[in-house]
Amino acid sequence: MLRDAVLVAGKDLRIELRSRIGLNQVGPFAIAVLLLFGLALGPDRAVLAPASAGLFWVAVLLSTLLAVQRSYAIESADAARDGLRLSGLDPAGIFLGKAGAVAAQLLVLEAGLTVGVALLYGAHLSGGLVLIAACAAGTLGLAAVGTLYGVVASGLRTRETLLPLLFLPVVAPVLLAATKAWNAALAGTPGRAGGWLDVLVVFAVLYIAIGTVAFGPLLEDG
Amino acid sequence: MNGYVEAGYVVVLGTLGTYGVTLVVRERAARRRVGQAVSSGPVAGGSDPPEAGVPAAGSARAGGGEETGPGSLP
Amino acid sequence: MSTPRFALPQGRSRALGALGAAALVGVAATVWLGLFVTPPDQFMGNLVRLLYIHPPMAWVAFLAYGIASLASLLYLWPRTRAEHFDRLAGASAEVGVVFTGLTLVSGSIWGRPTWGAWWVWDPLLTTTALLFVLYLGYLALRRVPGEFHVRARRSAIGALIAFVDVPIVYFSVEWWRSLHQAPTVLNPTTHKTYVHGSMAWTLLLGFVSFTLVYIWLMAHRYRLGKLEDLEDTEGLGAALAERRAEGEAA
Repeated sequence: MLRDAVLVAGKDLRIELRSRIGLNQVGPFAIAVLLLFGLALGPDRAVLAPASAGLFWVAVLLSTLLAVQRSYAIESADAARDGLRLSGLDPAGIFLGKAGAVAAQLLVLEAGLTVGVALLYGAHLSGGLVLIAACAAGTLGLAAVGTLYGVVASGLRTRETLLPLLFLPVVAPVLLAATKAWNAALAGTPGRAGGWLDVLVVFAVLYIAIGTVAFGPLLEDG
Repeated sequence: MNGYVEAGYVVVLGTLGTYGVTLVVRERAARRRVGQAVSSGPVAGGSDPPEAGVPAAGSARAGGGEETGPGSLP
Repeated sequence: MSTPRFALPQGRSRALGALGAAALVGVAATVWLGLFVTPPDQFMGNLVRLLYIHPPMAWVAFLAYGIASLASLLYLWPRTRAEHFDRLAGASAEVGVVFTGLTLVSGSIWGRPTWGAWWVWDPLLTTTALLFVLYLGYLALRRVPGEFHVRARRSAIGALIAFVDVPIVYFSVEWWRSLHQAPTVLNPTTHKTYVHGSMAWTLLLGFVSFTLVYIWLMAHRYRLGKLEDLEDTEGLGAALAERRAEGEAA
């Protein structure tokens, strides 16, 4: 299973390195989101800075949708599921591999967004360890849920609207917990983030587990 | 203050009532359509393709009013 | 005219009718007691009357989600896999989403005069709002076309992914709110004042009556689902036969 996971993740990441869609499209999308938030909430840094964590994580959530759609689009057009199914790889491995690749890309994106948030909103970056821990645990959870729902939506004509509808409500706790953890860190009280990090870890573990089990049946259907 | 109370009761009871009524209506219509489909089961057990140009006679056969019968299926 | 190859579901009609009558009587009694017989609360005044409606709505919303989840689980478990569990899940979800919406609306109507706002980020209300959207996602997933078993399995997995989330959501939001000392529906003062005497009985009647309403609605939704599935499988064959018969008769 793990070997297949590494195989799939490697393939996905190699495709990304070659095509650079993540870099050229998802990245700019995330930056655009940050800018739009800036426009919406006004130029006053007194409003933006405290909201940095929340806005950061909303941008991450929305970018996850794109990253997941992309993850399935790189399989052959509309026969994405057929290609994966017939590859003979262990479905759990495919799940871990795809989710892992999505997570890796998101982490790179988050590094960029962190800089963006510090620059655009005047967020004072402190409590680095907590920031990183929240990103790690949160991203794994997001990637797991996204990859799982993504396989359901892939190949459907309604995938662009169905995936967000399914994905966003389920990852609401990730948004909440990650934002709170980041808030604690940015406010200079990283100790307060402990419980929220626990929530993120529990969520990630839970949905990675569900994913390894449920991905196979979902892949077969349709 | 009482306006809120009445509004609340009206909305809740009205919504549940409307939903219940639509369910019953939909169910009756579906039962009618399935009943027709069953009673007009295959006449000849062959695999003849349907004749081209035979018009859908759904409106003539439908017992109720709102839904057209299975003959209107493509 | 060939004989029907199966029995249309119409047994149990009398039981269902009796259930419906009981539900109707219960609701009517609740409304009468709630609006006219019970006294106004010493703190909330007449607003307490909405609390004979709102908590039962919330209870049913979560009951329906629990049953939909359980039915989905039973469908996925090979030993208990059966069509009726998928239909049960779908029926419960559709009725559940109606009650969830009503929970939000009734909570909002109660909240406006009580807290001065149409919405507060109360843990229960917020979780209910998220539950509402989760329901909608599940119902959208059910409507994705496909063969019965494929649809059923996909929906069941989707249901479990979503509904496993609800406890996590609730605890996260509750913790989030507890840090802020904000108004909450489950206020101890609220409880103490109105859970005694005729008010308590009315509340209990409300819970029971609306649960009966839920069961009645779900039973009908279930039957509708079964009829629609039958229609899909029988309708096409009958349509072809009908066309053939008309061609011969013309």
